[in-house]
Amino acid sequence: MTAAIELTDVSHWYGNVVAVNDVTFAIEPGITGLLGPNGAGKSTLLHMMGGFLRPSAGEVRILGESSWRNAGMYRHVGIVQEREAVYSSLTGYEFVRLSARLHGLSDPRAAALRAIDLVELGDAKDRRTGGYSKGMKQRIKIAAAIVHAPQVLLLDEPFNGADPRQRLQMMDMLRAMAAEGRTVLFSSHILEEMERLGDRVLVFVAGRLAASGDFRAIRRLMTDRPHSFAIASTDNRGLARALIGDEGVTGVQVDGERITVRTADFQRFAMQVPRLARDAGITITLLAPMDESLESVFDYLVSR
Amino acid sequence: MIGVILALTLNQLVRQRRTLLLLLLAAIPVLVSLLFRFTAENADAESFTGGMMSNFIANLVLPLTALVVGTAALGQEIEDGTTIYLLAKPLARWKVVVAKIGAAWIVTASLVVLAVLGSGFAALSGDDDRQIVFAFAVAVVFGSLAYAALFVSLSIRFGRALIIGLAYVFIWEAVVSQFISGVRFLSIRAYTIGIADTMTEASGAIDATGLGPTASVVLLAVVVVAAFVYAVRRLQTFELGDRA
Repeated sequence: MTAAIELTDVSHWYGNVVAVNDVTFAIEPGITGLLGPNGAGKSTLLHMMGGFLRPSAGEVRILGESSWRNAGMYRHVGIVQEREAVYSSLTGYEFVRLSARLHGLSDPRAAALRAIDLVELGDAKDRRTGGYSKGMKQRIKIAAAIVHAPQVLLLDEPFNGADPRQRLQMMDMLRAMAAEGRTVLFSSHILEEMERLGDRVLVFVAGRLAASGDFRAIRRLMTDRPHSFAIASTDNRGLARALIGDEGVTGVQVDGERITVRTADFQRFAMQVPRLARDAGITITLLAPMDESLESVFDYLVSR
Repeated sequence: MIGVILALTLNQLVRQRRTLLLLLLAAIPVLVSLLFRFTAENADAESFTGGMMSNFIANLVLPLTALVVGTAALGQEIEDGTTIYLLAKPLARWKVVVAKIGAAWIVTASLVVLAVLGSGFAALSGDDDRQIVFAFAVAVVFGSLAYAALFVSLSIRFGRALIIGLAYVFIWEAVVSQFISGVRFLSIRAYTIGIADTMTEASGAIDATGLGPTASVVLLAVVVVAAFVYAVRRLQTFELGDRA
């Protein structure tokens, strides 16, 4: 299958700050997620793909053409930016029709109504976008971006501000676009959004590609990494003694009213802790992960 | 396509609160002229009108209106992030620039011509020669185009185009070019008055700049073309967040 998006040795820096560092990857039709914490370089990557940033080094190609200084590319590319801004004096319908007219579509009215229908904003299409909620603005932005049925759709944090029902609806719509053979690339810093939508994932940390491939395989990597937990119980010392004897536990530290436990086998640990506590007659009052932030997961992936 | 962007921009400019303030600014010379008409007896109405046109309208109303409108026409969109809805389209960038300068020109010229005609007809009675009013009405239309092109292009390059424009209008044009006649060829105000000067016989009534008609028109055209070319080139390589 031909890659719709290709980045070759791409870097981008702002002054002395490196935002994207020597990245090479290719994206084929279907849905791909761009996952990373804030500041990982996701927006910079999307801006370069969208032709709104010149790569400091390397080349970005969309459908075989360079994305820089190539206005013709937008015939086949739709862009949904992260910023909420819309033309607030226009109604939703006027906003999407404007997009259709600027694309030179033969029937802008029909195209606009079709796109609005896809994002399920028909009821609000005659209201000014300035009065839309954040989630509605996201959807009308998507409608404007897909009005010309682009082959490639680039979305920067598209689910921000959308409620759970809207998210599911938007995800269904993007899946349908992917099923038609289009390329949908979206960025997110939320694992659950990736899990629901991104079959393929590119994980970015500090401007570098940390991992790529099937989401489930990456998720497994994330789950199998060493974990640390804080535990409080009715007998911390007794529980520490019981845990240290377990082969899945790599370290135990008693620290006042709680103990810190490190394990290399998350699955086994989850099964063994309640069993060991019950056998020792100890009641656990607190069990909390200590390093579940996305950043710590990314740090682990990068270090591998 | 130019028409679509032009209509969108006109819609945005007209709806802004600042346009209402500019309308009030344009009303000031009309009100002052009315005051003159009904209070100053035996005064030289043509001389008053000439002074009002060249010293107040060409010096203040025209550049200030063009500055506010010109920097908002595209600069506002770059600022709030909506410019991507224009630029992420298969459109030649020159079309966007033509539409933006065109919209700024239409709004600026409309407001300033209103000030010129209102002020002129308020100050001059039926017996007075109204040639000076029509001369300035034509001249400010040309001046509006040059200012609009300059300020639209400035707003693509600079986030603080309004401040830079204010410095140009109130330091360069109002002070430097007034006292150093050699730099008048770098003043849009001088071109505007130069054009008005050639179209009226009442030259003595206006603060003429000494620029002849040919020089005024040619220099004005140079400003428009240079600003247009610069704006197109900047927009062709436009990067998000790269304005100084």
